[in-house]
This record gives sequence, C-alpha cells and structure tokens, in this order.
Amino acid sequence: MTKSVGKRKMGKLERRNTLIAYSFLAPNFIGFVVFTLIPVLFSIVLAFMNWSGGSNITWAGLDNFKLIFKDFSFTKSNLGIALKNTVYYTVATVPITIACALGLALVLNKAVKGAKFFRAVFFFPYVASLVAICVCWNFLLMKTGPVNQVLSFFGINITKSWTSSRDLAIWAIIIVSVWRNAGYYMVMYLAGLQGVPAELYEAATMDGANGWQKFTKVTLPMLTPTTFFVSIMLVISCFKIYDVVAIMTQGGPGRSTKMLVTYIFELSFGGEGIATSAQYGVASAVSMVLLAIVLLVTYIQFRGEKKWVNYM
Amino acid sequence: MKKLVAGLLAAMMVATMAPAMAETTLKVAGWDISSTPYYTAIKEGYEAANPDVTIEWVDLASQDYNVKASTMLSGGDTTDLYCVKELSDMQNWAKEGLIVSMDEYIKADGTDMTKYAGMDSCYVGLTDGQQYALPFRADYWVMFYNKDLFDQAGMDYPTNDWTWDEYAQMARDIHEKTGAYGTHYHTWLSCVANWSVCDGVNTLADGEYSDLKYFYNLYQSLEDEGVCMSYDELKASGLHYSGAFAQGNIAMMPMGYWYASTLIGYIKDGTASMNWGIVAVPHQEGVAAGSSFGSPTGIAISNASANKDEAWKFAAWMCSEEGAKAIAATGTRPAYVSEAVATVLAAADGFPTDENSKAALLPTSIALEWPIGEGVNEIKTIVNEEHTLIMTRELTVDEGIAEMEERAAEYVKK
Amino acid sequence: MTTVVTKKKHTGKKLTVGHVIGTIFKYAFLLALTVIALIPFVWMISSSLKTSVDVFSIPMKWIPETFHWENYTQIWEKVPLLAYFKNTAILAVIVTFMQILTSSFAAYAFAKMNFRGRDLLFMCYIGTIAVPWQVYMVPQFIMMRSIGLYDTIWALVALQSFSAFGVFLMRQFYMGIPNDLSEAARIDGLSEYGIWARIVLPLSKPAIATLCIFTFVNTWNDYMGPMIYLTTDIRKTIQVGLRRFIQAYSADYNLIMAASLCSLLPVTIVFLFLQRYFIEGIATTGMKG
Repeated sequence: MTKSVGKRKMGKLERRNTLIAYSFLAPNFIGFVVFTLIPVLFSIVLAFMNWSGGSNITWAGLDNFKLIFKDFSFTKSNLGIALKNTVYYTVATVPITIACALGLALVLNKAVKGAKFFRAVFFFPYVASLVAICVCWNFLLMKTGPVNQVLSFFGINITKSWTSSRDLAIWAIIIVSVWRNAGYYMVMYLAGLQGVPAELYEAATMDGANGWQKFTKVTLPMLTPTTFFVSIMLVISCFKIYDVVAIMTQGGPGRSTKMLVTYIFELSFGGEGIATSAQYGVASAVSMVLLAIVLLVTYIQFRGEKKWVNYM
Repeated sequence: MKKLVAGLLAAMMVATMAPAMAETTLKVAGWDISSTPYYTAIKEGYEAANPDVTIEWVDLASQDYNVKASTMLSGGDTTDLYCVKELSDMQNWAKEGLIVSMDEYIKADGTDMTKYAGMDSCYVGLTDGQQYALPFRADYWVMFYNKDLFDQAGMDYPTNDWTWDEYAQMARDIHEKTGAYGTHYHTWLSCVANWSVCDGVNTLADGEYSDLKYFYNLYQSLEDEGVCMSYDELKASGLHYSGAFAQGNIAMMPMGYWYASTLIGYIKDGTASMNWGIVAVPHQEGVAAGSSFGSPTGIAISNASANKDEAWKFAAWMCSEEGAKAIAATGTRPAYVSEAVATVLAAADGFPTDENSKAALLPTSIALEWPIGEGVNEIKTIVNEEHTLIMTRELTVDEGIAEMEERAAEYVKK
Repeated sequence: MTTVVTKKKHTGKKLTVGHVIGTIFKYAFLLALTVIALIPFVWMISSSLKTSVDVFSIPMKWIPETFHWENYTQIWEKVPLLAYFKNTAILAVIVTFMQILTSSFAAYAFAKMNFRGRDLLFMCYIGTIAVPWQVYMVPQFIMMRSIGLYDTIWALVALQSFSAFGVFLMRQFYMGIPNDLSEAARIDGLSEYGIWARIVLPLSKPAIATLCIFTFVNTWNDYMGPMIYLTTDIRKTIQVGLRRFIQAYSADYNLIMAASLCSLLPVTIVFLFLQRYFIEGIATTGMKG
C-alpha cells in the first residue's frame, strides 16, 4: 500500500517537476524546434531523396550514399579527400587553439598591467571582418611576403605562396583559424577561471604546492567544464570549416584544402569556376557523414564527461 | 517523420502559388544592378515604350547570385524574371519546373531566333528540348591592348588576324623594350587555356586535353621570363584584372568584352588614363581569324510569376533589336547581332575609334565556352581543380593534363 | 616593476631574481603575441590610407608615402554604410537580448533539474549544431517564406535568437554552480523560478557577458543569413554591405580595408564595455567556503 502511494506521489512530483522544467525550456525550445530542428530533420530525410529545389521529390533510398562512397579512397574520391583534409585540419587546430586560448587566459587572468588592453587585442582577430583578414593573411603568406622573409632569416626557404602549395595551403588555413579563434576561446576560459574559488589556491599554498602543482591540481581540474565545452564546440566548428577556405583557397590548389562543407556547398550551390549542381539530396548525404562523425566524437566526449569533467 | 515531410511539402506548395498582383510591376532579379549601367537603360527604354508597366530590379550579390536565386526560386518568391548567370543553373531550374518554357510565346510572336548567332541554343532544356530563356547579352573574348605602351616601344598595334606565336613574340618584345608587362593572364582557366575551343570543334567536355598543352607551355614560358605577372602572386594578392590593366603597365590582356564598359568608366572617372583598343583574340594555325568563345547572359520567367504574359513581353523586348540598342548604348555587347547594333556599340562614348576595334565587334564565330550536357558540371570542376595545380606548378603540364583526362573519363559522354 | 612589488606584497615572498626574469619573460611573451595578433590590423590600417594601386606594391611599405585620409570619407558616399550600421545594430541588440533570456532559462532546466527526456533533448540541441547550415538552408528558407518571414529583420531574429550554442554555453556555466546552493534554496522554500532569478542568474554574470559578446559579434559578422533573407537594399546589414562593396570596388582594397575597419568599431566598444564582467564574477562570492 504505502509503497504504491509513494510511487504515485513520486510520479506526481516528477510530473510537476517535468512541467516546470518544460516551462523553462519552452521559450527557447519552441523557436529552436520551428526554425532549426524541423529544417534539420527535413535535411536528414533529404539524404534519402532526390531533390533539386523544385516540387519533385522522389525516394532515392541509399543511392545518394552509394554515389558518394563510390570508389572511396583518401587520395582519389572527393568524399575521401574532403574527409582526410577535414580530419587533418581538426586534429591540428583543436589542440593548438586550446593551448593558445588557455595560455592567454591564464596569463591575462592574473594581475598583469594592461590586462584589459591585451584582452581586447587578442579578441580583435575574432571580431574583424573575415574577408579583410583573409586578404591580409594571403598577403602575409605570399611568396615574397613578411612570413616567408622571417622564415628565410631562420634558414627556412619557402619559394611559394603558402596558398599555392599543396602541402602548405592547409597550414595557411590552420594558422588563420588558430589566430582568429584563440582570443574567442580565451574569453570562455577567462569566464571559466572566475569560477575557481580563491580559497582553493590558498589551501594549496598552505599545503606547500608550487605554481605548476597549483596549475595541474587546482586550475586544470576546475576548468574542466569549460574545457569540455570548448573542446566540443571546437571539434564541431572545425568539422564545419568553410568560410576561411572559401575566401583563402577555394579548396585548392587542386583538392588539397577541399573540406567536407566545401564539398557540400559545391554539391548544393557550386563554387568558383564550378557550376551549380543543386544536388541537395547528395549534399545531405555528405552532411550525414559529417553528422555521424561529429555525433560519435561528441558522444565519446559526453560519455567521458562524468570521468574527467569536474562539476562542483 | 512522415508527417513532417508532408507538412513541409504542403508548405512548399502553398509557397509556390504566388498571390495575384493588381498592378503590373515586374520584379526582375539581376546582379550588380547599381554598378552596371545597362540595367537602368533597359528599365528606362521599356517603361518609355510601355507606360503601364514598372520594372523593378532586384539586386542580388554577384558572387552569391546562384545561391540566392536558386533559393528564391525554390522558395516560390514572387520575383517575375531572373537573369541567368550560369547555364547549369538554368538547366536545373528548367528541369525542376521553376521557370517557364517560352516555346508557345516564341511561336505566337514569331521571334527570330537566328539573330542570336547560336547563343540561344544553350538555353534549350536538356530533358525536353524547349526554349527556357533568351539571351540578352553575349560576351565573347577579345584582346585589350594599351596603345601607349605600343607607341612607346615603337611597335605596330596588333591586328584582327594574328596567331598565338605572333602574340607571344609581341609580348616579349614590348616587355624588353619598355619594361612593362607584355601581357596579363587573370587566374581563370578561360584566360589561359581555353583557346582551343575557338574552332568550334574542340570542347572542354570532350575528355581530351592535349590541346591545352600549347597554351600552358606558352603561359609558363612567359611567366618564367617575367613577361607577365606570376599566377602565384596574383592569386595570393587577389589582384583583380580590372585594376591590373588600368594601372597602365600591361600591354595586352585577353578578357571578356564586358571589360570594355568597365575600362570606359575608369577613364571617365580618372581611375585610368590611357589610349586603348581591342582586337580579336589570336588564332591557332588552321582556325579562321576572328574566332572566339563566349557565353551569353539570358533572362528566364519564373513559374511563380503572377504576370507571365507581361513578363514574356518584357523578356522579348529585352532581347529584341530595340532592347539590344539600349544595352549597346551603355557599351555592353547584346546577344542580338546586327549592323545597326554594332554601329551603336562603336558609337558608345569612350569606345576606341580605330577601324580594327570596330571590326572586332563583329567576330567571325563564337563558340560556347562550356557545352551543356550531363556530366559537364563534374568535368568543369575537375578541369578547374587540375588547372590550379598546373598554374601553381604543383604538377607539370603533362602530369596535370594526364590527371584531367584520367579523372574526367568517368563523366565524358560516350 | 611595480607589479613585481605588489606581487611580492601579495604572496609575502621576497623579491627574487627568478621573479624579475619571470615577469620580463611574461611581458616579452605578451608583446610578441600582441605583434602577431595586430600585424594584420597594422597592414589593414596602412592599406586603408594608400591608393588602390599601392596596396600590393612589392616590396611592401608599412607606412604609406602619402596618407589618403579621403578614403575614409569616400566609403560613406559610395554605399549607404550608415543605414547598414543602423540595421545591424538593431538586429544585434534584439538577437542578443532574446538569446540571453531564452538560453539562460532553458539552460537552467538542463543543468539544475531532473526530468524525463533531458539527455535526449540535450543531444538534439548538440546534434543540430553539428549539421552545417548550408544543408538545411533551402528547407529553412521555404519554411520561413511560407510563414511570411522574408526580407524583414524578423526573419533573422527568428533564425538567430534560439541557437543551441547559447543553451550549451549557459548550461556549462550553470553546471559549475554548486548544487548545494540551489538545494539550500529549495529547502528554504524558494520556487525553481525564484532560484533561477535570485541565485543562478546573479551568479552567472561572466557567462552572460560572454554570451552577450559572442552573440553580438556573431550577429554583427553574420553574412550568409542576411544574404539569403534580406533583399531590399535599405534593409541589408553591414556584412552584406561590405561584401557588396568588395564586389563593386573589387580592385580598391584601400576602400575595402577602410570600410572593414569602420565595421570593427562598434563591436570593439561592446567588448571593452563588457569585459569587466569577466573579472567580477562568481569567484568573489565564494561559494564553497
């Protein structure tokens, strides 16, 4: 008897609780569902359809996937190359960006003279119009540009513009991405650092911890929620890299900087020197590959959340 | 999920049924409206002849024109007419029923299709053979040259009958004598290697690219000798051809005819000051002098238009001799070809007055830059990608061409 | 040097050679990074004061021979920049406000409440971040048009106000606020809304400041959204205007740089204004002691 009453009460409480929770969610959730989730679900369905923007939609089954996976190889097929480039870019960009952002935040969180000035300076690159800074960097990375001049001073001779070389073009994209995003994630880390109670440092000092120990035993663990967020957002945004590529290299030379979204964009809308294709179904299929990878990586990160992310 | 799809489909259908409009205002989508004078000329010309109609240009960004126009058409926007920028766009619009077939109208009006010198053929729907757009503008490639630099070098101006070898020699001579760049190649495939399509037999979609070798080799030797700017630096600096030639240190530049009106504008507002002229592009041995290639710009009627008949009237006028004259008066070359139109073009304010420039206005033949057909999009992508590898010298000419052929083979129509 | 002294006072340690060297290194490091961060801007400023022909002259000159200040007056005459600025400012303010309000609300449920389907819903949010916008752009456009949201600023408000990014960001910060605080408040009889308004929200100032800056900057710099959804010239935003400018004056990099620098100003001001909130944060409220 009592047991079942308890259960019903729990159920009632839970239902009430759930209702309240949904009332919190509603304002955002309704907008989110209407303007984002439904179109996204539609695009998932599209991966199994033939559609070119008109009123004809026909079922395609797995044809779109067969098409993009046809003759799959990391050196020959479009999907393979785009996948390889995107993963390469992500693996290089994520750690460098996190290291730079964290480093900047740590230095600027302390009582550094002019901290306000420096913070603004490092956030600047994120704010600037992308077209303008890409033009800038293209110029800086030119054959006879300042970067190559400085490098030749150190005995490294590069005889090409970075964006004209199959090996360096992707690094040009990585450099610009890190340069642009480090300040952005620095801001997140700065906000995260405010959540670390000063008492913990005092306690650590009393225990005789040195600076490095404080960093590894207090700062890093306390920053894990921020790191968790930053790493997920960074991985996702790296997998979706498009705009810097579109402005700086248009995926070239050849296919050396063709990314997944560059490929998706080509399939939907064409590109420079490339005719429109309007193969929305195929584009959706490619994005499902992208989605699957990102969800897998995110899922692994979330699975690990409880192990390494330290919420108070 | 199914319900969602059904809902979206319903929404789409509602969207494609545009509400009827009471007044005849025709909305026409184009690009760079404010900086391109012929749009205004067309509007004024048509409104003067048809006082009950108002033409409203819808300005879409040029770089993203196909993205935006395709999205608008799919979304059932009420814009009545769309300028056609890319042929393959138009083919897709036709296939999807987003634009209207003009066959009935053409038959009823008895429109003379021979006046477009073949530039209308690419607007025939691939799937059903119907006419889906008319060309109002047709740009073909000519050679722009700087008379001042030729004078300085004490050399004769080029003529309308010259070969690529003669051209290369001229470029080298002028570079040697004046120190200026003998020629200028913009980064596009069309500027460097397209020339073999001028004979009207070769196409870029035939999967056979050994005919490009001559031009790539020619380019690379000129680049090595410093006769032209290097691709590498042009690409990295993003230097635009319009500014490059206007600086006055470039003797020759193969470019589309559209550049004439830009250059006239530059000279008027003082950005550039030079005497210039145009001649036909050089030809290969065995190809008639004055052969060139080009691509048209057309106008199509949206299926969502509420005034399709009015829209047709406007489109037909735009592509008629009347419309052609209005376009020609602004220095742009219309697709409608006749002596009368050529005279208007040559009389445009700021156009060079020498006989050769005038003669270059009536080319012997114009081949399509890219043919239309299945697989052409893919081939276009492949050829352009390999082009960048050859130009950056990541691949030798032979390697690049071999890769083009290997990769394109899959898509070439057998 | 003064910082070294204050630091000495703080830690109560002696001023050692190590500290001095450390400080010197720190500033040398910061200055080197500043140079790297600012070089492109120096180039932009220098280019914006040159003639278009001189911008790419080789070898490059960092200081123009003559300063062409008129570039800065010319850009205002060539395109209606002022109108673009106004449109973008209105849009950015509305979106930022909506974003903060709805995200902080929703994030509270995700971070501090237990309810059925929470994790699934949350994965939905994260999942949509992973789908590139280019893929669902056309279906979204069709939908928006069918409900009459096209060529108005409200289309963009609807598009950008409910982003999953904001919810995720706020959730992460809320997770960092100890549950003891909200538990204690529940025992004191505070409702969930009360906890949100009186405890969680005041504690999340740094997070709100961060989200505020990110939303403002992203809205300010968004190009594809306004490009697709706005057609009438006077309704366009600054990035679309800038791109139009670049296309119309594709050779005039001096003017492009001048216009880009002008578009930087408002965002910089917002950043400078908000950055003090990163520092006055929950750290000072001492939650565990």
